[in-house]
Amino acid sequence: MSVVHDPMTLPADDNVNAYTFCVELKGSQWFLQKGKMIAYYGAIEFNGVGHGRLDRLVRTSFHSPLHASDWVVAEGSGKMLLADRAFDVNSYDLDDGNLTIRSGNLLAFQPSLALKQSIVPGFLTLIGTGKFVAASNGPVVFMEPPIRVDPQALVGWADCPSPCHHYDHGYLTGVMGGLRAMTGLGGVSGEEHQFEFVGAGTVLLQSSEALMPELAAGAVPQEPGVPGGTGGSGGHGAHAGAPRLPGQLGDLQRRFGL
Amino acid sequence: MGFREINSKMVEATVVPGQRLFSQRGAMLAYKGDVSFTPSIQGGQGGVMSMIGRRVAGEATPLMSVEGSGTVFFGHGGHHIQVITLAGDTLYVEADRLLAFEGTLQQGTMFMGSQGGVMGMVRGQVTGQGLFTTTLKGHGAVAVMAHGGVLEIPISPQRPVHVDPQAYVAHHGDVRNKLSTALGWREMVGRGSGEGFQLELSGTGVVYVQASEEKL
Repeated sequence: MSVVHDPMTLPADDNVNAYTFCVELKGSQWFLQKGKMIAYYGAIEFNGVGHGRLDRLVRTSFHSPLHASDWVVAEGSGKMLLADRAFDVNSYDLDDGNLTIRSGNLLAFQPSLALKQSIVPGFLTLIGTGKFVAASNGPVVFMEPPIRVDPQALVGWADCPSPCHHYDHGYLTGVMGGLRAMTGLGGVSGEEHQFEFVGAGTVLLQSSEALMPELAAGAVPQEPGVPGGTGGSGGHGAHAGAPRLPGQLGDLQRRFGL
Repeated sequence: MGFREINSKMVEATVVPGQRLFSQRGAMLAYKGDVSFTPSIQGGQGGVMSMIGRRVAGEATPLMSVEGSGTVFFGHGGHHIQVITLAGDTLYVEADRLLAFEGTLQQGTMFMGSQGGVMGMVRGQVTGQGLFTTTLKGHGAVAVMAHGGVLEIPISPQRPVHVDPQAYVAHHGDVRNKLSTALGWREMVGRGSGEGFQLELSGTGVVYVQASEEKL
């Protein structure tokens, strides 16, 4: 785990660890989503997709004007590291195939693949031959249809001819169900809507799209005697603002270091 | 039956007719076969009185019952999942941490004060469990969520285990727990180590600890 990498020992087009992927550029180009590059060695230029010199490339492999502002082209020689929100990162090879993926989960792809907007909103389709890198919350699980998937848990699908919506509210029928639907009593299961996949192909799943709320790390604590302490997002910040009478002790909780 | 771990954040359960599962609402990721998800008004088992008990105790997590025949995949919020198999003993766990459990288990609510009186109530406050906690008793499997990975630490009579209250997830077995304090004058002047309270578990059983001090 604790290997110190240099440009020589970094893998070429492979995972460094479960959360980081290394792409090797030798005068070639890669498309990558903005903000997903965390470090690079060598001479690599990052240009927006609309950049004049790349016009021809865009014409041949980027067919998604809706997402054009989120993507950049990396060009040059060197190695660059990709990562996203501590999600698991993996690369996939397409061999004259097609794969549809949630747009937020796609990190990078080779220009030999063509990127198109899927008919399903929020998804992108990759067609052709080449490598792409995608992120997922937890390892990706591959499933065979027929299967019904929670929209949150869907990463993408390959070769499936008919993704469709499935609505399931059987518990809202009948007398008790009618009462339920009218009064709202008993709540909803949150599982009334799924994506249904039938036919031959593969469905890609992740644990969840949801993230824990971000916590500030390494913020200077707001304490007497600490310069630059502007109060992080820690729990103590809220109490610190309250006016305190002279001679009064601080909050018990704070004193106990909770 | 039982839960099969697919990876650290996803479990698979097989549903057969006549045996139902309970799961947290919205925790289904995918399913195969003919399975229905019904929001459980009572929030679990045990009739209307237990429902009222749970509402009062604040342990009424929104549950749904899963019935039918097929395979269901569960996961929630990207949290790590620990599958615990119970063989007749009682699991103590916060209701929010329950991802799914088998219908064969008896669900109950326990007053923290019943284990150690006032100190038990203080303990509940410190661990963030509140005054009540959920118990599951019987034979069956439970899938519990935790932020970060889960450590399973055995407790034996000679070796009590001390746990950070915020990292505590659940425990089962014949375990007595008490809050041990390591407070000195440093804590009083606000220069404490931040580890002033610990949960001491003794007896025989297992405690589950998460690798994070993040609450769910």
